Amino acid sequence: MSGITGILRRFPSAQMAWRNLGRNRVRTALAALGILIGVVAIASLGIAGAALQQQATADLGSLANEVTVSSGADSDEEGVSREQTEEIRGLVTDAEVVPQRTDATTVSSRGRSARVSVTAVTKPDVLYDVSSGEAPTQLQNGALLTNSTARELGLELGDPIEYNGNVYRIRGLIGSEQGFGGGGDELVVPLSAIDQDHYDTVTIVAADGDAAVAITETLNERFNRDGRDENEELSITNFADAQESIGSFLDTLQVALLGIGSISLIVASVAILNVMLMSTIERRGEIGVLRAVGIRRGEILRMILTEAAFLGIVGGLVGVVVSLAIGFVAFQLITGDPMGVLTWASLRYLVYGFGFAVGASVLSGIYPAWKAANDRPVEALRG
Amino acid sequence: MSVIELIGVRKEYESGSETVVALSDVDFSAERGRMVTIVGPSGSGKSTLLNMIGLLDTPTAGVVRLDGRDVTDFTEDELTEERRTGIGFVFQDYHLLPMFTAVENVELPSRWDTSLDRRDRAIDLLERVGLGDRLDHRPDQLSGGQRQRVAIARSLINEPEIVLADEPTGNLDRDTGRTILEELTRLKDEENIAIVSVTHDEQLVEYADRTVRLVDGKIEGQ
Repeated sequence: MSGITGILRRFPSAQMAWRNLGRNRVRTALAALGILIGVVAIASLGIAGAALQQQATADLGSLANEVTVSSGADSDEEGVSREQTEEIRGLVTDAEVVPQRTDATTVSSRGRSARVSVTAVTKPDVLYDVSSGEAPTQLQNGALLTNSTARELGLELGDPIEYNGNVYRIRGLIGSEQGFGGGGDELVVPLSAIDQDHYDTVTIVAADGDAAVAITETLNERFNRDGRDENEELSITNFADAQESIGSFLDTLQVALLGIGSISLIVASVAILNVMLMSTIERRGEIGVLRAVGIRRGEILRMILTEAAFLGIVGGLVGVVVSLAIGFVAFQLITGDPMGVLTWASLRYLVYGFGFAVGASVLSGIYPAWKAANDRPVEALRG
Repeated sequence: MSVIELIGVRKEYESGSETVVALSDVDFSAERGRMVTIVGPSGSGKSTLLNMIGLLDTPTAGVVRLDGRDVTDFTEDELTEERRTGIGFVFQDYHLLPMFTAVENVELPSRWDTSLDRRDRAIDLLERVGLGDRLDHRPDQLSGGQRQRVAIARSLINEPEIVLADEPTGNLDRDTGRTILEELTRLKDEENIAIVSVTHDEQLVEYADRTVRLVDGKIEGQ
């Protein structure tokens, strides 16, 4: 505190302001508390929005560059035929085309059993991330199993697992869930393990979302236009559009959240206006004395604006600390990674919150300051 | 030469629909090293006159001269500057800032002029009014007489030509009032300043070099 006093001595308006705030500590604390709540409202809602956005991007990011092809509504086929798949390969040159057959089964081991969806695929490395073991580029034998399922059944790498009368050795464990597309328990086996001619789905993994959108266009053009009529031979879906619309929804949500936060800051600044007005009216005689002994109007103005700014700074700083703590919790709850808050995308809401707090406080101080500075000393001294 | 001079000063107030004449054709002057006391019944215009002398208010008609310069038509900011450099004020209720120590209160009027450091003068003035051991006390730790002495020291910090005292002994008991008046008289001589005081206090009149009696906005005998 003595450091502050030393610096303030060189700025008399600031020193006066600081001392005046110390005069009625309860009132000062309450006014700063109002600002604090406003900052916390803005900053923590903003950070929560940033966490949602980050998590949504992470969830959808892995899917945005994928195009999923399955049997269309107007198709006679049961799935996607080998011929169609070859044609897709011909149309799509710079992306991986991964045909899959799917099934569901119950696997059991050591007396425990689990219901899993089965995906038969040749190139599991394109679709899955393994947390241990390997995801072969050519799956001829062996299988992959989701980590959680393996734990549930007490299975480890190298253990055998039976499907459809054949035994496969577990070569890799699939790690985190692949967005909302591939959640749940999953067993990945070689393509030949499911004995059928067609494929249930064909997944095309493009370089990025834009490429995926282009591929979707091309395939729709080829398979789903019969003359002028829509004729869906293949159902072609891609998540880039979904991600875009979810992204814009989250942007809207963010603005709405910030709007709600701003209302509380407006309420807080009205409280500051009230506090500053009260305090200048109470000190009317004192300000009259300052004016009488030759302190200029501009200096009175500065003094009271500084007082308001101090309220904003104190409330704002504490608000930033509280918001940061809330930010850690929000990121922990939403994304599972509390350190995720330490990015500009979320930290900027602390800067905004603090900036708005100081700005709103100074704005609220203008009228009381102007009123006090322009009060005629004769009137003020009379009381 | 007169430090402050009022010539034919008239002051009118609008009060509702009627015009109240607070001062009518008043001539007044004060000289260095002299104490002038203005007395008169309440409502006689004493405070208005003191406000004119202190450049806190401007006359409706007439001329105000400070140190020979016509300051009648000065703007509020120019008058503020004149008050800061040339005029000291002592009030009945002391009007010290409660959050500041005695020495900080004394140097307050000089604080905004960054070219000055009047801390030493503030300490010197407090020692001269007998408060050398109370420098870092806050007003609520001082008695009424001590507070008024701090206020007197404050009025002298900027080396003014004139000190205005509005009922300086009004809130003090008789003995304390007497010592305050003795301090004021002594400082008036030491600093060679003019003192203009307004009072009901007969005691104060004893210390005055000259007494001006104001009745109904006019100086009696003028």
